[in-house]
Amino acid sequence: MVITFITIFAIGIAAGVVGAILGLGGGIIIVPALTLGFGMPMRTAVAASTVCIIATSTGAAVAFLRDRLTNTRVAIWLEMGTSLGALTGALVAALVNQRVLFVLFGLLLAYSAYNMFRTRKEHARPEVIPDAISSKLRLGGSYYDKALGRRVEYQVTRTLPGLIIMYFSGAAAGLLGIGAGIFKVPAMDQVMGMPFKASSATSNFMIGVTAASGAVVYFARGDVKPLVAGPVVLGVLLGAILGARLMMRMPASKIRLFFMPILAYTAIEMIYKGVKWW
Amino acid sequence: MVVAIEPEEKTEHPIELVLARLLRLGSLVAAALLAVGIALMILGQTGLAPKLITAGLLVLLGTPVMRVIAAAVIFVKERDWHFALFSLVVLCALAAGIYFGKEM
Repeated sequence: MVITFITIFAIGIAAGVVGAILGLGGGIIIVPALTLGFGMPMRTAVAASTVCIIATSTGAAVAFLRDRLTNTRVAIWLEMGTSLGALTGALVAALVNQRVLFVLFGLLLAYSAYNMFRTRKEHARPEVIPDAISSKLRLGGSYYDKALGRRVEYQVTRTLPGLIIMYFSGAAAGLLGIGAGIFKVPAMDQVMGMPFKASSATSNFMIGVTAASGAVVYFARGDVKPLVAGPVVLGVLLGAILGARLMMRMPASKIRLFFMPILAYTAIEMIYKGVKWW
Repeated sequence: MVVAIEPEEKTEHPIELVLARLLRLGSLVAAALLAVGIALMILGQTGLAPKLITAGLLVLLGTPVMRVIAAAVIFVKERDWHFALFSLVVLCALAAGIYFGKEM
């Protein structure tokens, strides 16, 4: 039992580090590890993974907030979209064809992976001109980039398309139970013109809120098993604290390079899930 | 809208630090409860251990909700009504999500 605890704990640390660096929930690691590696039921794994999303978010946010990498104003603006989307997703889950959605969202991810790959070399991105909402709400921000050794100031644009994408990303999380951060990072980075590190840190901040309502439900249903969730969540919490420190010192181009294959993998996995029963 | 008292420095900075402090407190308490719970489990205290772990998980679960509430309070204090309203929308959606989720 001690060995099992230590293994689950170690998986948690790895998932926390990866999640904090990329702005994802880490479910991509935790769910397969618990179901395939330890033969746990899907419900137990997904419930533990949902609490882990909160652990990644909370653990990493402390460091990101202090270094102003998190844009709290953008986060709260977009959280309206994710939380309302998640609510809609949960309400209409029984009415929609999940397979079609898997394919649709998978294609969307494949497109953003392609887009991220295409723009990988553009170091000097075109000047971002804030739109009316962004100026009015003062969404622009600045942070000190430890890898560059200088302060990065940025503006935010296309705030309304960003909000709409977040609504669908929240709905995807509610409907399909996946995609905590994987839609959010490209939406901020590619659509709203935010720097990659600010996108990742802000995504990280937001995923905890969306996961919270799901986690309460899993708790109420008794799907959160303390002996499974305890070690993995503790690992994720420590991993996220460590990962956040690593991320702040990493160049954005390198983080992007790690993000792209995960994006492509998730896209293929989702499309596969959608088509395999046809 | 009170535009006159909106100095950039004053409105931009405190919220991050307040939220960081809140989240740090939440993660420390949660980590301590989880660590003690797991240690007791390994030592064979099967009665108390799951309760401590569950308490740790619940503390952690509370942190994102607490930080939305804290942000709402800060925005109201700063008379930043737009963002106070946005925080309220998020809180209502969360509450509704929990309510409907339990029903299903």
